[in-house]
Amino acid sequence: MSDARTSDVRGTASSRRKTWITIAMAVLILIPSLYGFAGKFIEFVHIYRGTGGGEFAVAPILNYLLASAGFFCMLLWAAWNGMFRDVEQPKIDFLENERLLDRRGPAA
Amino acid sequence: MSQSRNQPSARAVPADLVDEKIVIAYYMAALTFITISMLAGLLVALQLVRWNPFNGAELLSPGRWRMIHTNAIAYGFLANAFLGTLHWAVPRLTFHKVASKALSWFIFYAWQVIVLATAAGIVIGPTLQDQPWVMELAKQTHLPMGLGAQGLEWGETPFWIDPVALLGLLLVAVNFMVPIGRSKGPMYVTLWYFMAAFVWTFLTYAMGNLLPEYAVAGTSAGAIGGLFIHDLVGLFVTPLGWGLMYYFVPILLKKPIWSHGLSLVGFWGLAFFYPLQGIHHFLYTPIPMFLQYGAVISTIAVELVVATVVINFFGTLGSKGYDQFVNNLPIRYFYTGMVFYFITCFQCALQVTLTFQKLIHFTDWVVGHAHLVMFGVFSLWLFGIMIYLFPRLLGRPWYSQKLLTYHYWLSAGGLFVMFLDLTLAGVFQGWYWASLQPWDASTNGSTPFWIVRVFAGLAMFGGLLCFLYNLWMTAKGAESVDESPALAAAAT
Ligand code: HEM
Repeated sequence: MSDARTSDVRGTASSRRKTWITIAMAVLILIPSLYGFAGKFIEFVHIYRGTGGGEFAVAPILNYLLASAGFFCMLLWAAWNGMFRDVEQPKIDFLENERLLDRRGPAA
Repeated sequence: MSQSRNQPSARAVPADLVDEKIVIAYYMAALTFITISMLAGLLVALQLVRWNPFNGAELLSPGRWRMIHTNAIAYGFLANAFLGTLHWAVPRLTFHKVASKALSWFIFYAWQVIVLATAAGIVIGPTLQDQPWVMELAKQTHLPMGLGAQGLEWGETPFWIDPVALLGLLLVAVNFMVPIGRSKGPMYVTLWYFMAAFVWTFLTYAMGNLLPEYAVAGTSAGAIGGLFIHDLVGLFVTPLGWGLMYYFVPILLKKPIWSHGLSLVGFWGLAFFYPLQGIHHFLYTPIPMFLQYGAVISTIAVELVVATVVINFFGTLGSKGYDQFVNNLPIRYFYTGMVFYFITCFQCALQVTLTFQKLIHFTDWVVGHAHLVMFGVFSLWLFGIMIYLFPRLLGRPWYSQKLLTYHYWLSAGGLFVMFLDLTLAGVFQGWYWASLQPWDASTNGSTPFWIVRVFAGLAMFGGLLCFLYNLWMTAKGAESVDESPALAAAAT
């Protein structure tokens, strides 16, 4: 096997390992978090039903959930569209662009 | 360096990318409103030490002019200065012009009308609404409120202006989202902040101005009020301010931000943790305790988010930071603002504890905190930006660097004295009340602090006058009086 192919195979194996580690870590973090969140949510529904104060909490919590749901979708969209793939590159591009604009004149 | 996806060629950039005239127009409006606001602040401060020269003049009463003071700052100064700067930054970041130049000018005029109508509503509304014909009209049309201010701090905008203001905010979002939508590739952090601010400002304004007016009442409306005023700072002013710092600091330091990844952590942290905190203004109220504790916890989370931002900016400044701080005037404004930001957030960490709230709630501590964040942080940042941009917009260097330095010292120094003074006043007031002394004892004890505030305010106003005179001379084309060009060169 040529050197290039050997390193290709090694690269694929290591990226597969990385994917599995990421999935394992995600499961490890997400399961207890979701469990905690669901528990708190059920508790909240009980409070809402059982006390006057619970009803009161609905407005701010709904507000929050609506705003966060939007942002959560945006986060997923951004990740899906590769916005975080080369996370440091935009800071370099932006300064390059500014230099380009400055070479053209004061404002544009 | 290789051409990345986000780097268009020079030919692709439109020649008139930035409309410089509108940037100048917004800055002029902003400076007019901060002048009015400071005069109003001085009027109220004088009233509190019984030196009000207009004592007895109802239309100039502090009850009305306090609202003019805060509204002129939020919607007159901050909003105008931000909008002007967005007209500079968004096209340059995206390489696309705003959606429509005509729309930009329409929004500019409409916004000034909104701010002036708000002021008119606040000042003459209460007098007008007592007229019999107005009362009759209100009865016939079932108007929900009087013509004057609504009863919510920073949401005082009379109810008949709210729909117009909301439409204005929607148009602002459209005008800037079009170029952002057209840009390609992974976005720089500034654009994330701007996008979020357009959405949040609209939603926050709608929540605070419409819900307590038409939908919710009592303590529930109080909770919404808490969310509103806090979100106005955190979801309108903060993302625009941070976004602009991520834009201007690297340009002025001529190096990229320390960590773009960390800046994104800050952005998403703000997005998810900030909206829950408003209730921390209402600790010890009838709002259910689990909501109050939720607000405390999310505030602690935001403290961590803020720490990432501060670390990032000081990491960017790096080891040669002191030279830059001394020799580069806009950088000096920016980083002074950041130090004040750090102090503000440190205060928040204390304020959010129930123990501390017991002492400082309703005292001047809070007023000191408000001035520190609104003037010490965001206004200093905006002045730093103006100091950098005006020479570029007007095509000539500043008339006097010395006057700029005076402005810096009078503003930052005056503000710092005001902040320390009101913080201390707050602690004294808290203890007066806790020891159940008569109310008069607490106001008498506060008077020396309030006198100091007048002088601190005069210093800040003096700084503003230096800035305005300097700008006037620069715009007129007066010959620069600078002996040392070092600061001037750094500032442009
Ligand atoms: C000439 C300088 C100034 C003076 C003398 C002054 C004075 C005052 C006074 C007397 C109050 C009312 C406090 C009370 O109700 O007990 C106030 C409130 C306030 N001022 Fe100023 N002010 C000045 C400049 C500014 C600036 C430049 C800003 C913002 C950039 C600002 C933001 C605020 C805010 C947000 C409040 C409301 C505070 C709260 O409700 O807790 N002030 N100011």
